[in-house]
Order: sequence, then structure tokens, then C-alpha cells
Amino acid sequence: MYNLKLIETLSLIMIITSVAAVESHNLKRAATAYCVQALLICGLILAFAVGNPALYIWAAVALVTKAIITPWLLLHYIKRTGEQEVPAIIGFGPSVLLVSALLIASYTLTHRYVHFLAPTPEAAEGAFRTNLAVSMTVFALGLYAILSRRDAIKTVIGLCLLENAIHLSLVSLAPETPETALVGIATEVVITVGMLLYVIAGIREQIGTTDTFELSELHW
Amino acid sequence: MPEVSSLLPIALFAVPAGLAVIAYPLARVARPLGPVLNLLGAGAAMALAVPIAIHTVQGRVLVSLSRELRADALSALLVVVISGVALTAAIYSFPYMRLEPLLDRVGRAAGPEVTNRRLATFYTLSLAFLATMLGACLPNNIIMLYVAVEASTIASGLLVAFYWDRRSLEAAYKYLILLTVGIAFALFGCVFLYASAAPHLSGEAGVRGMLITDLSQVAHYIPHGTALLILSFFIVGFGTKAGLAPFHPWLPDAHAEAPSPVSALLSGVMIKMAIYAFARTVCIFFPVAAYQPVAVFIVVLACFTMLLGGVMCLAQDDLKRMLAYSSVSQMGYIALGLGLVGIGYGQSAAYLGSYGSLFHLLNHALAKAALFLAVGAIIYTMGGKRRISELRGLARRMPVTAVIFFVAAFAISGMPPFNGFWSKLTLYLAAAEAKLWWALGIAILTSLLTLVAFIRAGYHVFWSDGEPHVGESEVREAPLAMLVPMGVLAGLCVLIGLYPQVVYPLLHRAALALAGIQ
Repeated sequence: MYNLKLIETLSLIMIITSVAAVESHNLKRAATAYCVQALLICGLILAFAVGNPALYIWAAVALVTKAIITPWLLLHYIKRTGEQEVPAIIGFGPSVLLVSALLIASYTLTHRYVHFLAPTPEAAEGAFRTNLAVSMTVFALGLYAILSRRDAIKTVIGLCLLENAIHLSLVSLAPETPETALVGIATEVVITVGMLLYVIAGIREQIGTTDTFELSELHW
Repeated sequence: MPEVSSLLPIALFAVPAGLAVIAYPLARVARPLGPVLNLLGAGAAMALAVPIAIHTVQGRVLVSLSRELRADALSALLVVVISGVALTAAIYSFPYMRLEPLLDRVGRAAGPEVTNRRLATFYTLSLAFLATMLGACLPNNIIMLYVAVEASTIASGLLVAFYWDRRSLEAAYKYLILLTVGIAFALFGCVFLYASAAPHLSGEAGVRGMLITDLSQVAHYIPHGTALLILSFFIVGFGTKAGLAPFHPWLPDAHAEAPSPVSALLSGVMIKMAIYAFARTVCIFFPVAAYQPVAVFIVVLACFTMLLGGVMCLAQDDLKRMLAYSSVSQMGYIALGLGLVGIGYGQSAAYLGSYGSLFHLLNHALAKAALFLAVGAIIYTMGGKRRISELRGLARRMPVTAVIFFVAAFAISGMPPFNGFWSKLTLYLAAAEAKLWWALGIAILTSLLTLVAFIRAGYHVFWSDGEPHVGESEVREAPLAMLVPMGVLAGLCVLIGLYPQVVYPLLHRAALALAGIQ
């Protein structure tokens, strides 16, 4: 019923965009990679909507919140705070190695043990299986970005990846979720991101940098 | 238990939410309208929460929107506590959030126009915060529960950053990032729970609804490994929001840097709402005996939280940070009760832990809100000073605040004849009944630590030698509109301490609901 080839291609490009968003030291490029990923998610949701027409609404909401508003917010604040990322804790070379290891591990593990995460016959089908593996991989990459990056805006991009991953799994595993909940989840992410960026702009005004290591006023 | 269809649950959060929508434009037109609307919202919430509580005490469960919203006694207890604390904070905000002292705090350079705009935002967000907290206590749909909990983070993020200085911005950044990442885990947990439960839920309504009441019926079909993964996601997700260690680092920052009425809400009730969400989701699995080790793990986590909070509380010089760490430690007590519920779920053995946990939830909400408001009164009169080492001899100048501080402090430390004594005693007995002697020992030790921390701080601030001064002028007691809400909260600590049976009917029903006893 589903276009397996399309779903797999989109899913795999999604992983590439995640790596680009995490590893690019230019924040503008990272935000663009995120935007491309958001468009891929919309494509994936549409591919799944063949089996469940309710997902068309989800695709529309994702397009507006993830592919339009969030990148716009990111680019708007990056213009104010500067394009160059504050150097991360881990250098580029080791980081790429780590990301690759993380990527391979989370993808293969999820792909192999998918029944552990979602013990249903549907989840074991090709499309869902790939999707879930991609979603866990993007989740791991997002978490890695949040933990290893010093730049506050980069941390927010990591958070966006994390949310994308969850939403992807939500679409493939729980497509019957009520529309109100779907709209609520998607809108909340945009508001959180907007609010975080607003606070980060305030921090930049007060202390002149978006380096989270400089946030040391409040100790234990 | 008979389910009665009712509009009360919808009205409960729709009224403050509606007021939040109109609050900003109205407060911009006329400044005094902001606090009035805030008070109106909290008052209306209280007026709607009480009838819900009465219904549930009489043995009914209120449902609306085809069981999407469901208010049993447990929800009723939470909404009464939330709206009660919000009401006192709303009264307190009248003098505390006045323009003049605020201009002194945020810097006159900002100008009255900017401050006015901020005040309008403050009251709008306060109402939204109240609406989302109330909303989080009602959903029966697990995804909507997540949505409401996350909404409360969004509504309170800018309240934490209110003063817009280096400290509050740092606190707000940590608050938003940590809570959003934490709660993302809870959503992942919800997704996996959905995927593994959906095939066993009968009918279209069951699948679409994903109702907590239905999920607990099919929990035993979910494979053990998957269930453990889901449970760990819930514990991380809602545990972060509830301030359980080691997911607590956002809490002392946010609770200390927010304006005092907001601190009272964050520490008094928001983390209680989170532990409610924690309980609702984790309890889905407790009917299955195989998950008892998870309950024991929750007890371990609770003891760690208690002890860490207690030790950190002792090490603080900042009064508000001290209170915040004390909140971490008291959340440990509430979580301890929850763990004990899991150990004997559905049997009478779970009742004592359940009752103690909820009783302590109520008592801590009252006492901690009173403490944050009392410290707010000190900050208000002392021109922003809040370090224990900077404050001395305030008892003669601020006698009422001193009495309220000590009443609430003794209540939190579990001293008789105050309310905290009864709830802690219940929890001790429950731990002893479960033969968890180590947990009992840690709980008693933490109580002693709390007592020492509060006596040390209170003695220094109120009784040590020295004449307090703010610039040239003499220090005076806080205004009546601040003393009354503080006094009411402290008075309730005494009243419930002397007559613990006052709250028995509601707590009893709520404890039965939490412990899964029909």
C-alpha cells in the first residue's frame, strides 16, 4: 500500500540532514539543514497518509510549524546573534566519528529490535521499521547536539531535531491520535522554540555571547 | 464509581484561559485591571474547584467531552490545592508587583512604559499558567496530559525570566531547555505506550481516545521489556518536571529567580501537578505485580532526592534557593509515598503510602507557598536583599512575617503540632509497614536536616543581633495585602495540624483512587 522506496529514500536523507544540522558550524546552514529535514518529514507524512487520510492535517500542520515558522524564527535570531557557532566541546574530527558511531549503532539496533519498542505486526513492516529506526537515530543525534554544543542556538536546533524524531515516530506508530492533540503538540514546539530564542537574544544582550558556558551566575 | 457528565471540568480551565486572552489588552489600557483579572481568574477557579471536590467526596466522578476529561477525587484534590495557592498568590501580587518597587528592581532606565508592558504580560501569563496547571489535572487522554504539562512550562517560562537580568535569563534558559528535553522523553513514552497498547484496546473509541482508564486495563498485555522502557521514559520525563533528583538542576534556579508570587506557584503547586502526571502515567502499570521492582526503584529515587535536597538546603546562603532545595527534598517524600503505592498497588497496604503522599502534597503546597511569600515580604521590605548573611534582627521589625516563617518552617520539617507532622508520620508508618527500614531512616534524617537548615536560617535572619536598615529608612512590616495571604496559608498549616480530620474526606477518596482500591 505504501511507496516503500520513497519512504526509505526520504528517511535516509533525513539522517543526512540531521548530521548536517549537528555538524555545520555555520548556524545559518544548520538552520537550512533543519528546514530541509522538516520538508522531508512533511513528505514522509504524506507518504503515510495514503494509508490514513487523517495524516493530511498532520502534514499541513508540520509544514507550517516546522518548515516555515521554526526556520524563520531561527534565521531571524541568528541574524541578530551572529552566524558562527561558538566552538563545541568536541572538535570537528572526533565529533564526526562520534556521530557516525552513534548513527550506525542507533539505526541498526532499532532496526533489528523494533519489536522491543513497538510490539505490533505493523511496526515490523518495512516502512514502519525504517521509519522507527530513523526516528531513534535522529533522536540520538538531537540529544548529542544538546549535550555537546556550547552554542545556545545550536542547542535549540538539537531540541528541534529531538522533537522531529518524536513526531516522526508518533506519525508512524500512533496515527489515530486526535487532531487536537496533534495540533497542540506541534504548536507547543514552535512556541517553546520561539520563547527559547527570545530568551537567548536577551542573554546575548546582557552578556554579549550565546555561549552557554558563560551562563555561570547560578551555581549549585 | 458512578461517572456523571458535567461541564465543571471544562469551565475550570476555560475560565482562567479565557481571562488570559483578554488580560493583555485590558491591562495595557488600564494598569489596575491586570491584578484584578488575575484575582478574578484564581477566584473563579476556586469557586469551580470546590464543587468538583464536593462531587468527588460524595463518590461521583465527573466526566466531560466523552470521557476525555475525567475528574476523580485525586484530580479534585489537585485542582483545589492549585486554585487555593493561586488565589493567595494573586492577592499577594497586588502590592508585590506594584510599579514603583518594580522600577527599582528592573532599573529605572527601562522606563515605566516597558515596565507596564511587562506587568501586563505578567498577569496574562499568570492566568495562562493557572489554566494550564488546572488543565493538566483533568485529561484522561494520555497525549492531552502531555500537552497540558508542556503548556504549563511554556506559560511559566517568561514568568521565570520576568526581571530580565543575567540571573533570571539564565534560570529561564535552563528551565525551558531542561523541561522541554525532559518532557520530550515523556512524549516518547506515550508514543510507545500507544503503539504497544493499541492492538489490545477494543473499539474505535478506545484506540482513538487513548484513555488512561482504558490503558490500565490492558497493561498486562504489554511485553515486559517494552513496558520497562516506557516506564523509564515516564520517570525521566515527568520526574524532571517534578524536580526529582538527578533531574532537578533547573528547579533551584527557576524557583529562586522568579518573582516571589511565581515562586510560590512553581514550588507550591506546579511540581505537584507534575508528580500528579507522574503518578497517573506510572500507575497504569502498577496493577501488574511484575512491575513492583519499578516501585522500589521509585522509592530509591525518592530517598536520593530527599537526601540530596536536604543537604543542599543546608548549604545555601540565598533564602530563596534554600526554599527551592527544600522543595526538591519534600518532593522526595511525596515520591516515596508513590513508590509505596506501587509496592502494594490495589491492596490495603498501598493505602497508607497513598494517603501520606497526598497529605504531604497538600501540606507542602501550603507551607512552601507561605514560606516563599514570607521571604518575598523580606525581599520587598529589604529592597531586594535575600542572602541569609546580609539579613539580621528582623523579628522586632517584622513580627508577623517572622511568626509565619517559623510556623511554615516547622510544618515543612514535620514538627508537631503542625500539618507536616501528620503527613510525615503517615509516610514513616507506611515505609515501616513495607519494611523499607533504610527508606524510613533516610526520611527521618532528612527531616532533621530540614529542621536544622530552617532554624539556622530563621535564627540568623530574625533573631541575630543587629538593626536592619534599608538605606537610611527603618524597616517596617510588609503591607496587609501581603500579610493576609501568607497568614491564611500559615493558619491552614496550624488548623490542619490540630484537626487533621478536616481534610480526611477528600484525601481518603483521593488516596483510594491513587492506590487503585475500589
